[in-house]
Amino acid sequence: MRTLVWLLVVGLLALLGIALSQQGALDPLKNGALTVASPLERGLRTAASPAADFFDNVTDRQDLEEENRLLRQQIEELTAEIARLKESQFMAADLAELAEVEESRPNDQFLVARVIARDPSNLKERLAIDHGSKDGVSEGMVVMSEGGSLVGVISKVLDDFAWVTLITDSNSNVNAMVLESRAQGVVSGSLHDGLSMDLIPQDAEVEPGNTVATSGLGGNFPQALLIGQVASVRGEAQDVFRKAEVEPAASLSRLENVLVLTSFTATHLESP
Amino acid sequence: MRYLLFVPLVLFVALAQVAAAPYFPLLGVTANPLLVLLMCWAMVRGPRETMVLIPLAGTFKDLITTDPVGVSALALLPIVPLAAIRERRPTESEFLPTLAVVAVASLSYHLLYMMALTAVGDGPPWLQSPMRVVLPAALFNALVTPVFYLPVRWATTLSEMVRPSMSVSG
Repeated sequence: MRTLVWLLVVGLLALLGIALSQQGALDPLKNGALTVASPLERGLRTAASPAADFFDNVTDRQDLEEENRLLRQQIEELTAEIARLKESQFMAADLAELAEVEESRPNDQFLVARVIARDPSNLKERLAIDHGSKDGVSEGMVVMSEGGSLVGVISKVLDDFAWVTLITDSNSNVNAMVLESRAQGVVSGSLHDGLSMDLIPQDAEVEPGNTVATSGLGGNFPQALLIGQVASVRGEAQDVFRKAEVEPAASLSRLENVLVLTSFTATHLESP
Repeated sequence: MRYLLFVPLVLFVALAQVAAAPYFPLLGVTANPLLVLLMCWAMVRGPRETMVLIPLAGTFKDLITTDPVGVSALALLPIVPLAAIRERRPTESEFLPTLAVVAVASLSYHLLYMMALTAVGDGPPWLQSPMRVVLPAALFNALVTPVFYLPVRWATTLSEMVRPSMSVSG
């Protein structure tokens, strides 16, 4: 009987807490808890880092890991540069409207933020950063890696902290295009299955190694922001659309710092 | 008095879960040390203490993650009724039933967690979740059970050994 009463009381309190959280009434409490917990979390992460590296690959030596990290960063930066160059080339050749978009945001402003935690739930791909509304961060802002590729979008903002929903989250959808063929589609995350680009027209030329970047459609992301590279393409001849697996350019599982694009404001289009 | 020790310990595990667990994935998922510890605790020491620890630890975890406050406490609730199997003593060993209930608690945790997230509009894909998250996580949590079960068992045995001797001498 006592257990039943306890279950009912705690269950009801939990539901009340969920309702209050949805109203944002507990945000100050969350901000306070993160303020206290974030230094401890950072310490724990630092302490766990060697073990995590060991867990990652028991045969890797520290210097090889460092070299690998640098090389990955260089690849990401160079791929981002290639994406920008390809886009610039395309703009110069044909599309004046792309040039207009590019010219409309000539001075992007970034805020460097440190990653302080990752969501441990297995069902969500989110991470916490150490900047919040007091620093000018707001929901919908685009988050990039240090290498300049797309990481995700700010989904929840507290006074001093914010949560970023990664592009690999199962609820994430980004309008994208393959730079080489200009084929458009939607890059979506999924549960532990990486990124995939859906809704690619059957007649579009898409091959492994092609570069995928944001298309800017919908107004939620700036144009020509590197997402990754096509790893494989699936789809039968009778299918209306094809699907491509996309390898993210940023190393999303080991991010330490990110850039919040504060100068870009997402446009929420309403139906006519 | 004992809660002065228990509460910080459980809060530390919740913090460690958020800070470090995502960096130790297996089968594509991470373990839920808080759930495993509380389930082992309830199996070894009885559910009474976990009835205090579950709301505290669940609330604290939600405060430092994206989850609405209350989701984790709600998802951890089945630990208490599951610990009732302890009274029935289905096997000689206490460890094997603990392994089984950790797996079951993990399944019920994810079910309630996904239902709560769906209710607030942040739900995961239900069709993909069982094979990609729920079952691997249950397996992973069962695998790490000895890491939590043994210390809880030893600490409990030690405290049971100390207590009678204190009462005799006193």
